[in-house]
Amino acid sequence: MSSAAETAAAEKAPGPAGSGSAQRGRRGPDRVGRAVYRFLRSIPAWVLWLMVIVWSVPTGSLFLNSFRHRDDQRASGWWTSFTEGNWTLENYADVLSSGEQTGGLWQALLNSFAIAIPATIIPIAIAALAAYAFAWIPFRGREWLFIGTVSLLALPNQVALLPLLQMFAGGAHWTLPGTEIVVTLFPDFSLAGTATAVWLTHTAFALPFAIFLLHNYISTLPGELFEAARIDGADHFTIFWRIVVPLSVPALAAFAIFQFLWTWNDYLIALTMLGAAGENYPATIKIASMAGEFGLREHLLSAGAFVQAGVPMLVFFFLQRFFVRGLLAGSVKS
Amino acid sequence: MKDHSNRRTRLRWARLLAIVLAFGLIAAACGSDDDGDAEEAPAATEAMADESMDDSMADESMDDSMDDESMDDSMDDDMSDDMMDLSGTKVTVFGPESSDEEAGALRDALDHFAAQTGIEVSYTGARDAADQINAQAAGGNPPDIFIFPQPGKLADFARDGHLIALPDDVIAAMNEHWTPAWTAFGDVDGTQYGIPNKSDLKSLVWYKPALFESKGYSVPGTWDELKALSAEMIANGDTPFCIGIESGPATGWTFTDWVEDLMLRFHTPAEYDAWVAGELAFSSAEVSGVFTEVLDLWNTPGMVFAAGGSIAATPFGDNGQPLVDNDCMMHRQASFYAAFIPEGTAFADGSADAVDTFYFPSVKGDQPVLGAGTLVGAFRDAPEVWEVMKYFASSEYAEVRQQAQTERKGGGLSGFLSAATNQDPSVYQPLEQSFLDILQNADVVRFDGSDLMPAEVGAGTFWTEGTAVVNGDKSVAEATQAIDDSWPQ
Repeated sequence: MSSAAETAAAEKAPGPAGSGSAQRGRRGPDRVGRAVYRFLRSIPAWVLWLMVIVWSVPTGSLFLNSFRHRDDQRASGWWTSFTEGNWTLENYADVLSSGEQTGGLWQALLNSFAIAIPATIIPIAIAALAAYAFAWIPFRGREWLFIGTVSLLALPNQVALLPLLQMFAGGAHWTLPGTEIVVTLFPDFSLAGTATAVWLTHTAFALPFAIFLLHNYISTLPGELFEAARIDGADHFTIFWRIVVPLSVPALAAFAIFQFLWTWNDYLIALTMLGAAGENYPATIKIASMAGEFGLREHLLSAGAFVQAGVPMLVFFFLQRFFVRGLLAGSVKS
Repeated sequence: MKDHSNRRTRLRWARLLAIVLAFGLIAAACGSDDDGDAEEAPAATEAMADESMDDSMADESMDDSMDDESMDDSMDDDMSDDMMDLSGTKVTVFGPESSDEEAGALRDALDHFAAQTGIEVSYTGARDAADQINAQAAGGNPPDIFIFPQPGKLADFARDGHLIALPDDVIAAMNEHWTPAWTAFGDVDGTQYGIPNKSDLKSLVWYKPALFESKGYSVPGTWDELKALSAEMIANGDTPFCIGIESGPATGWTFTDWVEDLMLRFHTPAEYDAWVAGELAFSSAEVSGVFTEVLDLWNTPGMVFAAGGSIAATPFGDNGQPLVDNDCMMHRQASFYAAFIPEGTAFADGSADAVDTFYFPSVKGDQPVLGAGTLVGAFRDAPEVWEVMKYFASSEYAEVRQQAQTERKGGGLSGFLSAATNQDPSVYQPLEQSFLDILQNADVVRFDGSDLMPAEVGAGTFWTEGTAVVNGDKSVAEATQAIDDSWPQ
């Protein structure tokens, strides 16, 4: 993030500098002026560097601590490790080998993927279709339905966790007032304790925001495109698949990144929906639990945090090209 | 042209349908994982619920286990006939013990049980289990057995009707191995709901015997001797105590432990119980007097070494290093503190740098003990659940778990301790055996008071106001009044 901002600042700089060199007539004051200007011009870069340093210190110190022994971590600050050395990979070895009886951290990372991937793809698939419908298919009550959907954004997911868990654990049933008839609104699939319950919950809570974000984007696409397509005989699904999806890649990618990160780092929803089903725990819960009672093994948390953060970082480094290409693909009109 | 695009559209729809179907199948596959078991298990076991079989088998198993040195082999033969009926049933146990050593040793002990009985017992530990159990119980997804970190929490769940009272045969099995002082923590309004699972001993002072000897100090036997010893140490230029009470959101609990320990010493157990129940106010002369006693000791110049600069800024876990480095002579902390003492330190083996403990001295010559620990309670009424509960109550469980945990800690102190009687002491290290002696010989055992008080106080103002008086931000009168005001009516 910060490096991108920096390059942006660097690119901005040449413009005014070029115009300054155009007025070379008055030499004396001009040299002073240029020195002053150069100094002023360098300030944003230094401020940015300062911010980069300040913002990276906590992460950097955590990173250093993840290579230090427990007793060193307890006895002295991370900065002493520059002079003392005494690095170790023990913490990482402990983190990666922990919990062998329950499949260990590798199993937990697989569980995290099993939750995060469906919880990213499904809301995007549904929300893109819904956003297209809200933006380009006129139907009765469209505005109210859209307002209703978006206002769900204000619903904090914490208040719905227990009702959802009850629904997953025993289904949802409703006795018709005044009768003995019980209507099953949601059958008992015994979902409590499964990864399905977790990504279903993530999907449900992601939809309002996803629809809102994608609607805002898709509704700005030029209507002429759709008219032209319709004249060529395309129906809604063809328009959606052939025109809307390719043009919306930047918005889809942006949402996918955030949704993947949120679900990958989620702790509360997973713990609530899984309960005592430890074999399905994602990495967040496994890593937090490594600290043990009274924080006996808190020294493992720093290494665990980097294992946990490593996967999204790898995903970004490998997929960065595609994200950037997606962004450009949306910005250039042909 | 029209036909062509129609065909293409149809193709697209087919593809979409395929994707939706694929997701549906995946969802179904994930969801049905434990579908069958969950529904079949209770039905199957209820059909077999045969009380007489239940009783006789459990008693036999307890007796056998005590006599036999090698528990693993001998039990299989005579047990297998009776147990056949329950094999294949499943019991889930959930609890806050989650690190590799603790949860691993707990699982080892349960595997040992599973090998004998065929009952599949799975244990899941999560750091926030104590908070999460509320959601699980309310959401209709409770585990079969939960390990409660505090008796207060167990009582809440029992009163709300979530927990099942122990059947008589389970109580009988428990009483064989636990003294009334400990089983009382699982008693809610006269009904037994919980079984002690693990015991911590809090009335301990860590010190280095060889250092005491070389400096001519002797282990104090009374509170006055302890104060005299501290004065002597200060006069010699030594710092008597390492104290640090920082513990994240729980900062202050170490201070509450000192207050509780001294409440038990200066006053009667009945007064302690009245205080914990909210009948004796914090602002009373008794309780505020103990606050003052603790603070006077801590505030004596030269009394305290705080590695973090001040008592409230020093993490409680950071007091082990200065003790080993001789920056202080003593540190009052529970039996589990062995795990915070730097690696490589010897315990009670007579070597020059070995660390040992002595009993936190009494005031009146009695031997009150401040304890803590966990309790198991059952959410499901089924014979296999009660078998597991009986196993948790047994000394066999304590022995197997202790052995496994010692092994997992690489032969050091395990951090596990059980006050169950009839345990084979040889599974404990010498220092741990001395803890057991204190626990089992105690006249008076009281549970950590802050764990028994309502959460607003015991996990709230008692900590925060305690920290404020330690920092000198408030007077004892102000702080104790504030705690009283926060007590829920």
